Amino acid sequence: MDIEIFPHRVLGSDTTEKLLNDLESLEDVKRTVIHGPRFPKTEETLPPQYRERRVIQVNGEDVTLQVKTGRIFVELTMESTIKEIEDICKKDIPYGFDINQSRTSYIRKEQTVSDRIKYGDMELPEDLVGMTDQYSSFDDHVKIIRKDTLD
Amino acid sequence: MVQIYPGTSQVAQNRRNFTNPEYELEKLREISDEDVVKILGHKAPGEEYKSVHPPLDEMDEPDDSVRELVTPIDGAKAGDRIRYIQFVDSMYFAPAQPFLRARSYLSRFRGIDTGTLSGRQVVEARERDLEKLSKTLLETEYFDTARTGIRGAGVHGHSLRLDENGLMFDMLRRQVFNKETGNVEMVKDQVGRELDEPVVLGEPLDEETLRAKTTIYRIDGEAYKDDVEAVKVCQRIHVSRSFGAFNPVTGW
Repeated sequence: MDIEIFPHRVLGSDTTEKLLNDLESLEDVKRTVIHGPRFPKTEETLPPQYRERRVIQVNGEDVTLQVKTGRIFVELTMESTIKEIEDICKKDIPYGFDINQSRTSYIRKEQTVSDRIKYGDMELPEDLVGMTDQYSSFDDHVKIIRKDTLD
Repeated sequence: MVQIYPGTSQVAQNRRNFTNPEYELEKLREISDEDVVKILGHKAPGEEYKSVHPPLDEMDEPDDSVRELVTPIDGAKAGDRIRYIQFVDSMYFAPAQPFLRARSYLSRFRGIDTGTLSGRQVVEARERDLEKLSKTLLETEYFDTARTGIRGAGVHGHSLRLDENGLMFDMLRRQVFNKETGNVEMVKDQVGRELDEPVVLGEPLDEETLRAKTTIYRIDGEAYKDDVEAVKVCQRIHVSRSFGAFNPVTGW
């Protein structure tokens, strides 16, 4: 099942980093998609005091943010995890948020024609279906983070 | 009492304050004349005003009693061009909003033409008068550095979620937040042309002040339906407009 976290403000890099790290620490969370307005192309040329985009660290791995966090889709298996996610959000998002479950899936689970155009006639691993934006290169948009195995 | 706007809520009071020309608006920040010219982007700072007709004194105008009655404003006297400034007000507790701007502009300024749209409000005037009125609009309660945008083009954003730092979405990124100083700075003029030096607009107002100053009824602030008097007047206007001169009891 998927849920959508909808913060009442568009999150910056710092809050996104905190939130993603806390979400990743949950055992049940399988996949996460950040959705939102893309950072402008001119971001890199701005003086540092105006820059909002930076490389964040999730589970110790560098992730270059491509978009500002407008909403987060999370794939999980158990309903009980939603309560934990709510607690994390309460802690990390001070401006309020909604957790939506009205749709059965927020992340696409089936391959489409767009996938075929992009990757050709190949078997796409199930985990990657729905993670990509067909208008951009794969590397730009998907970051595979290994689960923390240390307890 | 001057009848400007009905209602007993704080929002109604704020609307009355803006629209009442006798009420002196609170000055919140200082922006120099030169900076105003830079933001407007109609001419370079220090440049002479361009004119579209000779000064009125030098023109041979026909005799007309109205011309004698009405004193021309400075810009008209000098023959300036007509120029504009346009504002966008966020729905999230911005101090002003388009319709209120129109009402208050018309009661506060002379020689202007203003246009109201759902998300933006333009005001046109002769160039030197426009500069004067822009200064008032930027320095007083009309303006908040985060929730109000000065946007001649690319106005989209008044109904979008705010950024984490409270800034309204701006696709051209004219007003940007300076992390080091906590100020909002204008790095482009109102139509998005880069400025040589950023214009410092100042710190954004905090949420509480904005909620106290806002002129927007909102369900999560002061709801319109709770302002019984304002609703009553609105309903009365609606009924009298619908009936026009028709009396339902006696017929025509």
